[in-house]
Amino acid sequence: MTIFVNGKPVQVDDDPSTPLLWVLRESLGLTGTKFGCGMALCGACTVHLDGKAIRSCVAPLSRAEGKHVTTIEGLSANLTHPLQKAWIELDVPQCGYCQSGQIMSAAVLLAENAKPTDKDIDEAMGGNICRCGTYPRIRKAIHRAAELASERRTR
Amino acid sequence: MSASAIVGRREFIRTGAAIGGGLLVSLYVPLPDGRSDALAAEEKDFALNAFVRIGTDESVTVISAHSEMGQGIYTSLPMLLNEELQADWSKVLVEAAPVDKVYNHPVFGIQMTGGSTTSPAEWERYRRMGALARTMLVEAAARQWNVEASSCHVDNGAVIHGATRRRATYGSLANAAAQLTPPADVPLKSAKAFTLIGKPTRRLDTPSKTNGTAQFGLDVNVPGMLTAVVARPPVFGGKVAKFDASETLKVPGVKAVEQVPSGVAVIAARFWPAKIGRDKLVISIGIWDRMRGSLRTRCCAISQRWRNSRERSPKRQATRQQL
Repeated sequence: MTIFVNGKPVQVDDDPSTPLLWVLRESLGLTGTKFGCGMALCGACTVHLDGKAIRSCVAPLSRAEGKHVTTIEGLSANLTHPLQKAWIELDVPQCGYCQSGQIMSAAVLLAENAKPTDKDIDEAMGGNICRCGTYPRIRKAIHRAAELASERRTR
Repeated sequence: MSASAIVGRREFIRTGAAIGGGLLVSLYVPLPDGRSDALAAEEKDFALNAFVRIGTDESVTVISAHSEMGQGIYTSLPMLLNEELQADWSKVLVEAAPVDKVYNHPVFGIQMTGGSTTSPAEWERYRRMGALARTMLVEAAARQWNVEASSCHVDNGAVIHGATRRRATYGSLANAAAQLTPPADVPLKSAKAFTLIGKPTRRLDTPSKTNGTAQFGLDVNVPGMLTAVVARPPVFGGKVAKFDASETLKVPGVKAVEQVPSGVAVIAARFWPAKIGRDKLVISIGIWDRMRGSLRTRCCAISQRWRNSRERSPKRQATRQQL
């Protein structure tokens, strides 16, 4: 079956019931998306399916047929997405395991809400768990990314 | 390639040319039988046992003997090394060490990370590696210019001879330095002279943790690798009494099922068939009675101590009387 991954069509022959996560990681070698709980409880596997954040560990491949999947590798070519810039500016990650999922969730939030409040952020990011406890920096970095994105728009 | 004995009782530093050019500083541990040909025998390990690689492209790659797990060691170990090396910090990269005894924890003697011990344990070793590399780069420059090494100094990735206003970058000296014999010992800076240690420094691993390129254990892939998942006991002290894997073995992609000390392992070409196969195992769990007994005894003892301490607490007794 054909799916579009980070803008390119790819042919995959995995069983259609295989979770998208394992197709991305094992068949396509895109290991930036992480396996955390396997039960849609932690958010480490978050990717975009036609622009919406989904938990790829529980989304069967069949759900992505003919659709566009974006992974952390496809967010920007060279760390130029406002979220990535903000993440680097504020040194957000510690161990880093959850951060691909955090960034992908935050990207959907910013696409839908250009200037989120603390409450908006807490609600949108509530499903992404960080064992290191980087939440305060994640929140700051999302605000910062919103600023960077608005600067980019007005320039 | 040459060796000098300046690190610990069993470890020797070796320096030489890196594959593709540049200076490599490695450690080696002589064979236990004390064979004098250890150097030759371990020649092939030279490149694998590096602590720092100085490339002709000016890159400085510090090899971390310890795991980065959020504590920042991928930044602090390069800081230790570069405190002495004094390379351009923006050119410093970090790489995970492979498995080898030279990367053993200097105190615990196995390759491990934990207990907040990395910085204190590596406090000297990484600085020595940096100091040794710097000394050799200075020596290479001094020979090139036909001046005394002591009349040269280093600054931000370059050796400088002030009197003749000559300057050579580390990258341009790395090949020449790789031909030199390392000194038997090198002095280390006093804490007062530190310029990097103790200064807030940006993490080196942030970009890789922001675009998905950071490699975690789960991301390692080697040709022909299989994936095993283990069905573990659902209770403490549980063990496998017997199991039936006939349905598991019918799952396409499942290669084998093996009983292991922690349960039953399902081995497959990929994760998903292994997981589906594990779900299809039929396992009878036996309980190791001695274990259960000891757990119960321990729990009872703890509960009793807690009750006793409550009874003895005057405040608690007062509260109880009021109730």
